[in-house]
Parts: sequence; C-alpha cells; structure tokens
Amino acid sequence: MSQATPQGASALTPEVKAVIGAQAEKIEASLPWGIEREGLRIFTQAIMDPDPRYWDDDFAKKTKFGAIITPPIYCTYLGRRTRPGGEDPVTRAFQENPESDGIVGVRTPDTRGGLPDIPTPLVRTLNAGNEIELRQYPKLGDRIFSQARYADIKERVGKDGSRMLIVTTETVYTNQNDEVLCILRASSIKR
Amino acid sequence: MTTAQELRDKKQTYFDDVEVGHQFPPLVIGPLTATHLFRWSAAIENWHRIHYDQSFAIYHEGLPNILGQGSWKQSILPRYLKDLCLPDGWPWKVTFQHRAMIVPGDTLTVWATVTKKYEEEGMGFLDLDVGIRHYAETCPGRATIVLPIRNGKPIPYPFVPPKKLVSQ
Repeated sequence: MSQATPQGASALTPEVKAVIGAQAEKIEASLPWGIEREGLRIFTQAIMDPDPRYWDDDFAKKTKFGAIITPPIYCTYLGRRTRPGGEDPVTRAFQENPESDGIVGVRTPDTRGGLPDIPTPLVRTLNAGNEIELRQYPKLGDRIFSQARYADIKERVGKDGSRMLIVTTETVYTNQNDEVLCILRASSIKR
Repeated sequence: MTTAQELRDKKQTYFDDVEVGHQFPPLVIGPLTATHLFRWSAAIENWHRIHYDQSFAIYHEGLPNILGQGSWKQSILPRYLKDLCLPDGWPWKVTFQHRAMIVPGDTLTVWATVTKKYEEEGMGFLDLDVGIRHYAETCPGRATIVLPIRNGKPIPYPFVPPKKLVSQ
C-alpha cells in the first residue's frame, strides 16, 4: 500500500498534469569533437558486433549508408561520458564516501538537459520498459544533441488500491543538421 | 556469434520470404564473463559497482553475483535487429522490459518471431516478438522491422515512417 498518497486520492493531480509536455533544454550530448573512431571501436567490441560498417571505410562507402556508421543506439550513451578538464568525479565520490556504490556522487553534477521534478509524494521509481525508434545511424564526426520531454503521465491503481504514476519520458537525439537519429521512450513507475 | 565476413556478405531477406510464425536465426552470446561486463561498464562509463565488484555486489548489496547491465541488453536487441535487416532493410523500433538478472556464466540467445506482416507505402513491415533468453526471458519485447519487397521500391534512408503508422 502506498504510504505517500491519502487513501482514494488521485496521484494525477493538476500539478502533475501540468508537467506533461514539459521540455528540457536541448543539449549537446557528444563531446566537442563529435563521434570518433576509437570510442566507436570500444563500444562495438563491448557489444560484440564485428560489423565492417563500423570500421572498414572502403566497404562502408559502398553500403546504402555511404560511410562509417555507429550501432543503432550508440548516440544514447554519449551524454554519460565525463567531460575533460573538470574534477575527477570518481575520486571525489570515494573521498566523500569510501563506501560509494559507484553511482551516487560519481556522476558529474551536470544538470544540463534535465527535466523538472514531478510534484508528487511518490518517490519510489521502477523501470517499466523502454522503446527505441530508429531513423538514421550517426556517422563519424557527427555532433549529437538530445532533448527530453515528459511525453505522458498516467495513473494506475494497484490491486491493493494504491495509486501510482506511469511516467513516459521521450528523448530525441539529433545531429548537427537537426535530423532525427533516434527516439528513446523510457517508462517508469512512481509509487 | 556472427563474424565480420558474414555481415559483409549478408544476403537480403525480403518481405516475401517470411510468413507469420517465421523464426529468425538466433544470435547466441556467451558464456558471459566478469570481463565482458567490466568491458561494457568501461565503454559507457557506468561505474556502478554491482557490475564489476563482486564482493560489493554480494556482501554489500546482497546479490547472487555481479549483474549484467540492462543497458548492455538494450544495446544487443537493436544490434540483432540491425543484422536481420541488412543490407537494405531497417530496424525501425523495439520495445522491451528488463526482467530476470543476467550474471557471469550465462549464455544468452537473442531471438525474434514474426507475429504480423503488412505493407505500407510500398514497404514490407514485420511485427516481431523478440527477447533475450537464458533460463528465462530476461528482456521480452516487441519490434517492427522493415524489409524490401522483391522488385519493390527501396527502403528510404534516413528512414521516414509512413504517416499512417506513426501514431500507433
């Protein structure tokens, strides 16, 4: 039973409804030099994909893509990379907490591109599934941008009568020409 | 596993070649090791210790072992769909959920079965049930891929989904 909402009270309040459609600022997800060959090699080997479209220029030119491409959702991971020049986030996190789990405190406190908090007392968040839609593969040298928005928020009532929110966040990845590369729709349950 | 040469020489599967119920050749990966998991963490700079620090995973987090990353699984599914569509089809979209844990020692089978086929704007669309299986389905989902129709028009690139299908 949810302890966060009064019995029978809807979790989909006017304040929650008001954030549906809220959009974050568009940010550059890639590092300033864009997509480069060495990062691509490391990534493709980690997913064990030996496709020559990722590394053989001569072959790639003859494909319908016309050049080296990246794996389908490569661009969605670029924003995780630590930008050079700042304080080392790993060192800082473990200095602050030697028992760090490697997540809390490690992430660079980069709030660019973030969505506003959802005004709800429901604080537990569970992953409810993802959808990935592909339009185009990024190419070497491409600069990647991302922009997130709350696409939808619905209410669901559990078997025990507890209220929960199903939040769908949509992030659109584009290149330097503002062409859509891929759309990631992530659903989470707040209860 | 698929080799670079197999991907270089991949022959097109046409829309005409498959029917509902068709099972595409699976991709088998593994057995996974701690090194595979660590390599992925390093590749995407995910430093969560449950993925590479065994004593932390077991004694601090109460897990059975270090865990394979959901982000790795969600990269494998589109990679598999891409392979099915090569050289000229398009792996349009995939929806999935994260279920059972994966741990070192697991061998994974990535699979897809055709559940529906239909034509739109001269292109062949296949709806699929997909997943990544070990002793259980770890990442069940659905996908839609686009394959050329024999002697039909090429699939546009960049891919532009038919308007009729966008809101579905």
